[in-house]
Amino acid sequence: MDEVKCFIPKSLDEALRIRKEFHAKPLAGGSDLMVSYYKGIGIAPVFPFPVMIISNLSDELGTIRKEDDGVHIGALSTPNEIASSMVVPYPVRKAASLMGAPSLRNTATIGGNIGNASPKGDLPQPLILLDAEVVLRSVDGERRMKVDDFILGSKKTALADDEIITGIVIPEVKATHYFYHKIGMRRANAISKLSLSALFDVEDGVVVDFRASSGAAGPKVRRSRDAEEILIGLKLDEVSGKTGEFLSAWNSILSPHAMPEYRRASTRRMLLGFIEEVASGALPGNYE
Amino acid sequence: MDAEIRFTLNGKSVIFIGNPLRRLVDVLREDFGMLGVKEGCGEGECGACSVIKDGKLVTSCIIPVGSVDGSEIMTIEGLREKEEGKCLIDAFADGGAVQCGFCIPGMVLASYVLLRSNPHPTEDEIRLAISGNICRCTGYDLIVESIMLAAKRGEELWTK
Repeated sequence: MDEVKCFIPKSLDEALRIRKEFHAKPLAGGSDLMVSYYKGIGIAPVFPFPVMIISNLSDELGTIRKEDDGVHIGALSTPNEIASSMVVPYPVRKAASLMGAPSLRNTATIGGNIGNASPKGDLPQPLILLDAEVVLRSVDGERRMKVDDFILGSKKTALADDEIITGIVIPEVKATHYFYHKIGMRRANAISKLSLSALFDVEDGVVVDFRASSGAAGPKVRRSRDAEEILIGLKLDEVSGKTGEFLSAWNSILSPHAMPEYRRASTRRMLLGFIEEVASGALPGNYE
Repeated sequence: MDAEIRFTLNGKSVIFIGNPLRRLVDVLREDFGMLGVKEGCGEGECGACSVIKDGKLVTSCIIPVGSVDGSEIMTIEGLREKEEGKCLIDAFADGGAVQCGFCIPGMVLASYVLLRSNPHPTEDEIRLAISGNICRCTGYDLIVESIMLAAKRGEELWTK
């Protein structure tokens, strides 16, 4: 029997030392790793790399709190904890509430969802909409980078082999209108076929900010500040005249590899519906 | 590489010594004889292996035993000894909720977690609470009705 190293650190400091020395991969909720390396009934999963079980570090990595620079979400926070925390911005709460099923929402973690970097992962999409940063720690210190820069592509991240994802920081974002929609095949345990979030910030009839973020429509979540700028600064009654230009710019950044017509058309329809609603003077939403 | 994992199983302190990557479902069934914990999909989606970990519903097929150190685990074998468990089991039997029975331990545990936090659930809330528990026999309606029956009969049990 080949010996695969498995560590169970008792503190974050110990986990960081193990990460540095053995490059052990953190195993948190297990909803990705335990499934990927499933061997069968009665058989322990076998990992081709050293792992460390970090699910017991939630005292250090499981808190959600508001600070001066934004909302800090510990890497071990579960979708249920995120969905029920009112300090978390609406699209992230909404995405968390629609992940998997109740039991999965008690085990999966935000750190794992980002670290796994699946193009269909549910949390990176709204986090990227909000310019959230991932906090990475090693024994040598801490660095932060935007989630959008951290996720390089399908299942690829900028995580160094001595680093652990310790949390997420979502900066304060002003928005009067939010949109979030996930298209899945069923209400529970649905892997996203397509997802979209968007926001408007409208002040005195002028679009002060507009953003969109497309999930499961390419190897990674897509945003385009250039496309978003097409609508920013417009008066609400000018928006419909520019919507077509925006939609075609947005379409050009999508690169779905399967069912591209469906994904492009559905993205267009969702964006159009939201933009028309706001442009026609919809009242700011209540996102409690 | 053996690990020593201590946890509470249905109210009793237990110690597991062995590979910490073994799945909780296997350890519960094979080492502790908790055969009410079923394995269906092995991917955390069907809910047959549901157990309650520190008050929360989880699927034991995706949890390595190394992550339950210090936790309290309850399986159907523990729940059936409690008044709430008896109430649910009787309601499931009387309501005709059980056909092959494979999903039922997980269904009952999911129902218990629901009624503990929400003693008067609507039908939608019940369907959401059991949305991670797949049943291939019943079409769910009799299960939903049985959970409503348990909520009604158990009134004071769920609000205490």
